[in-house]
Amino acid sequence: MTTITSPKDVLEPPALVQGDQDFASVTDAVCAPVEAKMPPTIWFAVFGAAVVMLLVLFGLIGHLIWTGVGVWGNQIPVAWGWPIVNFVFWVGIGHAGTLISAILFLFRQQWRTGINRFAEAMTIFAVICAGLFPGIHIGRVWVAYWLFPIPNQMDLWPQFRSPLLWDVFAVSTYFTVSLLFWFLGLVPDLATLRDRATTKARKLIYGIFALGWRGSARQWHRYERAYLILAALSTPLVLSVHSVVSFDFAVSQLPGWHTTIFPPYFVAGAIFSGFAMVLTLAVPARAIYGIKHLITMRHLEAMNKVILATGMMVGYAYSIEFFIAWYGGNPFEKFAFINRALGPYAWAYWTMALCNVVSPQIFWFKKARTSIPIMMVVAILVNVGMWFERFVIVVTSLSRDFLPSSWGYFKPTAVDVLMFLGSFGLFFTLFMLFLKFLPMVAIAEVKGVMPQAHLKKHH
Amino acid sequence: MTKRYYRSAASIENEAEFRSLLAREFPGVDPEKLDEPSRRRFLQLLGASAALAAAAGCRWEDEKIAVENERAANRIPGVPQHFASMMELGGIAAPLLLTTFDGRPVKVEGNPDHPMSNGATTHWAQASILSMYDPDRVGGVIDRTGEEEVETTVEAFATANREAFMTLRRTRGEGLRILAGSTSSPTVEDMRTRLLAAMPSARWVEWEPVSGDHAREGSRVAFGEEYRPLYHVDKADVIVCLDDDLLGSSAAALKWSRDFSSRRDPDAGTMNRLYAIESNFSTTGAAADHRLPLRSGLVGAVLAALKAEIGVEGAMGASTILSNERIAKFVKALAADLKAHRGSSLVTVGPHQPAAVHAHVHRLNQWLGNAGKTVEYLRVPGPARPSHVDGMRALVDDMNAGRVKTLLVLGGNPVYDAPADLDFAAAYAKVARTIHVGLYDDETGKASQWHVPMAHPFETWSDARAADGSWVVGQPTIAPLHGGKSAIEILATVTVDELTDGYDLIRRTFDEKVSTDEQTWRKCIHDGVLADSATAPETPSVKGSLPAMPAASGFATDAVENGQLELNFVPDARLYDGRFANNGWLQELPDFMTKATWDNMALLSPHDAAALDVETGDVVTLEIDGRSLDIAAYVMPGHAIGAVTVPLGYGRTAAGVIGGSTADGVDPVGFDTYKLRTAAAPHFRSGLTVTKTRRTHRLAMVQDHHMIDTVGQEGIEERLDQLVREADVETYRQNPDIVQSHDHGPPLKSLWDPHPYEGNRWGMAIDLTNCTGCNACVVACQAENNIPIVGKERVLEGREMHWLRIDRYFSGDVADPAVVSQPLPCQQCENAPCEQVCPVGATQHSEEGLNDMVYNRCVGTRYCSNNCPYKVRRFNFFNYHLTLGDAENEVLKMVFNPEVTIRARGVMEKCTYCVQRIASARNKAKLERRAIRDGEITPACAQTCPSDAIRFGDLNDPAARVVKDHGNSRAYSMLAYLNVKPRTAYLARITNPNPALAGAEKPSAH
Repeated sequence: MTTITSPKDVLEPPALVQGDQDFASVTDAVCAPVEAKMPPTIWFAVFGAAVVMLLVLFGLIGHLIWTGVGVWGNQIPVAWGWPIVNFVFWVGIGHAGTLISAILFLFRQQWRTGINRFAEAMTIFAVICAGLFPGIHIGRVWVAYWLFPIPNQMDLWPQFRSPLLWDVFAVSTYFTVSLLFWFLGLVPDLATLRDRATTKARKLIYGIFALGWRGSARQWHRYERAYLILAALSTPLVLSVHSVVSFDFAVSQLPGWHTTIFPPYFVAGAIFSGFAMVLTLAVPARAIYGIKHLITMRHLEAMNKVILATGMMVGYAYSIEFFIAWYGGNPFEKFAFINRALGPYAWAYWTMALCNVVSPQIFWFKKARTSIPIMMVVAILVNVGMWFERFVIVVTSLSRDFLPSSWGYFKPTAVDVLMFLGSFGLFFTLFMLFLKFLPMVAIAEVKGVMPQAHLKKHH
Repeated sequence: MTKRYYRSAASIENEAEFRSLLAREFPGVDPEKLDEPSRRRFLQLLGASAALAAAAGCRWEDEKIAVENERAANRIPGVPQHFASMMELGGIAAPLLLTTFDGRPVKVEGNPDHPMSNGATTHWAQASILSMYDPDRVGGVIDRTGEEEVETTVEAFATANREAFMTLRRTRGEGLRILAGSTSSPTVEDMRTRLLAAMPSARWVEWEPVSGDHAREGSRVAFGEEYRPLYHVDKADVIVCLDDDLLGSSAAALKWSRDFSSRRDPDAGTMNRLYAIESNFSTTGAAADHRLPLRSGLVGAVLAALKAEIGVEGAMGASTILSNERIAKFVKALAADLKAHRGSSLVTVGPHQPAAVHAHVHRLNQWLGNAGKTVEYLRVPGPARPSHVDGMRALVDDMNAGRVKTLLVLGGNPVYDAPADLDFAAAYAKVARTIHVGLYDDETGKASQWHVPMAHPFETWSDARAADGSWVVGQPTIAPLHGGKSAIEILATVTVDELTDGYDLIRRTFDEKVSTDEQTWRKCIHDGVLADSATAPETPSVKGSLPAMPAASGFATDAVENGQLELNFVPDARLYDGRFANNGWLQELPDFMTKATWDNMALLSPHDAAALDVETGDVVTLEIDGRSLDIAAYVMPGHAIGAVTVPLGYGRTAAGVIGGSTADGVDPVGFDTYKLRTAAAPHFRSGLTVTKTRRTHRLAMVQDHHMIDTVGQEGIEERLDQLVREADVETYRQNPDIVQSHDHGPPLKSLWDPHPYEGNRWGMAIDLTNCTGCNACVVACQAENNIPIVGKERVLEGREMHWLRIDRYFSGDVADPAVVSQPLPCQQCENAPCEQVCPVGATQHSEEGLNDMVYNRCVGTRYCSNNCPYKVRRFNFFNYHLTLGDAENEVLKMVFNPEVTIRARGVMEKCTYCVQRIASARNKAKLERRAIRDGEITPACAQTCPSDAIRFGDLNDPAARVVKDHGNSRAYSMLAYLNVKPRTAYLARITNPNPALAGAEKPSAH
């Protein structure tokens, strides 16, 4: 927290890198966790727990493939249950990274540099978790590749009218581009690690991935061009991937799914949940690894503002859905929403509304925006609320559709719950490995926003 | 160490229960095996394969190889053949036609040449093919005379007992008792006569828990002789059923349903009007225009009041029962209607009611001039015999007194179903030689010294009389699978008859009683029925004065104190008296009113439930006459106040791995209500106390899976009149467009170009006016399309597999609701929402307009089900055929229809309009170089429908019946606003209410 001593403190935003830092100290600070002999104890604790959960996930996947998808609570009419809820949840989380990297980059939002690496890594891992679920969700996992347009002697193609197929393309494209974008940004930092390496193995491995980076002006020029192009390529993807995911629902004719507001509503929700997840991860990480001067309160506050804004968009979407259900005059549509709010799943609906709409309102106050405990609580509530949003959309709508005779009530099984927890195991295993082996802050980019990088300007 | 997984929280909570459920679902499989890919599993499999080889060797030990180059005439491999056969239920033969593939019967149809069937069957007949292949039938004769039970052969049984049988013959049947079910078989009758002639000291006792005792006695009281009424339902304008399930479980329900529905077309002629007075909903009550929920004990009093109101001579004065306004209004309107339709009305009464009520109904029909017009009587052949209850009582007395030396139980299960107060089992144990002949080694088999496997009706020669008295012959379609013998063959062994073979015995009767002409015999076998053999109907007159109607008390008000409630026993709509308990199709068949599977419940009215603070699923204790039973309760709208109905047939402990078997560790399904049933009151009795316990019982219902809250209830009310459209006939005739008036909204436009159809374009029409919800179509569909059963646990999870379901909706007051049944197969939409969302194109539109399901291509995303507004798609969440590879289930494989794929785990499936039947008709037409004729193709559901409610045909054929139906002003598409253009049209349900009672049944709140 900065104290106000002069008018400048109020009129100018605080510096993005705080304290008396030079380029070397930034490099040292970011590389320290990667180069440390032993990670902190808490790293081992989290990594150990994550690996255990990951093994549970793998075990359960084996059980699922051996026994059948009936191990979940899925049934008729709720043929999609937790796996699809988890899929949308993770895809949503996977939005913040690319948004921060690409869109904020294009808008010259320099505060992004402190958190973009972090957020991009989170994106990649979240999309991996997301991609897992549709893959194992299908009844015959061993023929999952039929979803891809692979030329074959039977001349059989996927069905291009199906939103699920669009989904396959959208998510795989998003994953590919996000991965490339992340990797490209890593190249200069990998070269730094290579140059600082003390062992042969490190030198070799980082060297391979640094792709022969020498830091010449020409390389920097090419690098920045490529980064800009990839940012421009990723930008539409941020909007498209969750729009396409929302088509899975919007294109069908189920009351509660069949609404045109879904694409923007899903994108807003995704950014909302993505930022909440970045916060959830960044706040502890900056404390543990001592990089509070790189991921500053200004960063956190900016993210809280985004959470407030997207939370209100989501809230708007919730209310406009109800309005349209009434205004549209379709009794099935109307019932779907009344049932959401007052039916057997009302508890889920109000959990969602409280977490997603009410809790971020506290960020109207600067005190709350800059309070670590408050933002952690809100971020976790938003994570919970966004999971419930997907649950409400998927399960509540399916459980009571057109014919009352086929109505049902979905109950998850232990496998459902453990697999969801297991997906966090996968996520955190990857994330912990990231923290251990890769620079969690983009060293080169942070240097670019330090005052030292703009000496000319002041002359 | 192997990891152990559980499937649900419940499975951990209640390990024992879960395991037994699992065992039921996958009969004969150790639940461990499902989850554990362990070394143990491998060894088990290894062992099972060895056992398979051995078991296969046992079953077909004297295998005869039929060389196909000298095959039997007309036998073309892969081409189905049809054989006339029959099965008997309650002494009435159901004429059947069996479809066999390469000598393997796979499907039961009604005999279309028999007027009592017209091609229709009951769900019991449909499901009986599964009973034939039931692995629990496996096993030879069980000899329990020694210390240990020994499995032996029928021949060994005959040899071991030959001396005893010879002695019996010498002692003229001293100490011999034969306990048999009802039968109308001429051969059994003949052999019985021979037996009693040769052994006059022997006694033949008839026992069936569901008997026609009261009807027979009523006939004797009224006419002096035993007659069975034969109704001409099609000639009646007004039909009154007193506690009678005329259209559901009565002797000729199939025929009467057809006749009834022939008069329900609002566009042709006058519609009939059906009144039902009953305690619990029967099929008939659900189909009725007016229904009076009434305790069974009051039916007699209401009949008396009705007679008085009509003015039948000899009727007593105005009864106090008319002080009840609800009853009075009904009775007055009904009396006026009956008086206005003398000679064209019909009053029927159910077997539940006492003999006096039967006699009075006979008189009423005569007084109304109906006798000879809408009702005629068939003389029941054979000597008078005691009622089943009296016969059983005498037998138990004899057994207890040591007068019975040999008891031959021919096909029943008295240890399970005899009246509780007689304590049959204890008496049975005192008999020196007990021989049980039955399909299963059941409760009685296990209590007998000898259990002899009985051959299934489809495995043997048999004969019996159909409901019209015609001589029906059943021929075997396969050699007895487990070396069983028919009842007559065993009887021949015991009586040391000179003939032993079933065919010879049947033929001897035929030769003696009918004709020795070979041609007549051959034609009889071919047709399944002897031409012109129906009993000539008579019109006897009611003689003298009738005994007084049984008194009813406390009837001025509906409500009855707890402790004086009436307990009603009814045969279960699915398991009948319990004999079908091991039939998975019937266990998983949803009851047509409660929609519950795998259970029976105590049904009680919402009024009583509120008074007793009981909800559906609560376990209650029923206490009557010092006997008590804990049973799950079900709050049944429209149930009579003051009564509790308990279906029989559940709680079996030695039915098999489906229905419950203590020996196999499978808990009984449902509750054994026979424990409350006494010889004094086998039908209904007051004096019942209901106490709520603190336990609950999970009921696996396929509709209303859980209690519907207020929000849901309001949602249902709002949409229901769109989904099931109803009108009364007057309104409909004045405004034929009333059915269409629900469809409004913007014009419907499609994203896609319409499909062109050059050849056939299949379509279906379902007439809700005709559908009674009898469930025959559901089982027919299951049999035709190899639909697996999934078990109670899976039904609870919402994973039932029926391709065709029947939705049941109530409307109106919960005390007296109207009911609509709506069969729901795949609607085969023209703009099918399922087709558009499948990412791999596994569901496709065919050139003939069907939504084809390509199982091979399906990856199981289940998106199609989500997008199906009718939710008719079913998913294989597990491999439901997992246990077919087990040795003991080898025989079960034979039940599958070879024309229909058995679906793998992880694929979606649904109704195909029986595409295999379409294909075979198309092939036939092609070979004969002609177009497919209208009516040539009937899907399994349509074929078996007794009331002709389901029609199928080519929408491109202007002359087709289905085209006329689609053009009918009653026709509507469900959820038309979605523009999915279903090919299945529903014809609105038109009722014919009595204007005098119209106010009572506003179709307001649903």
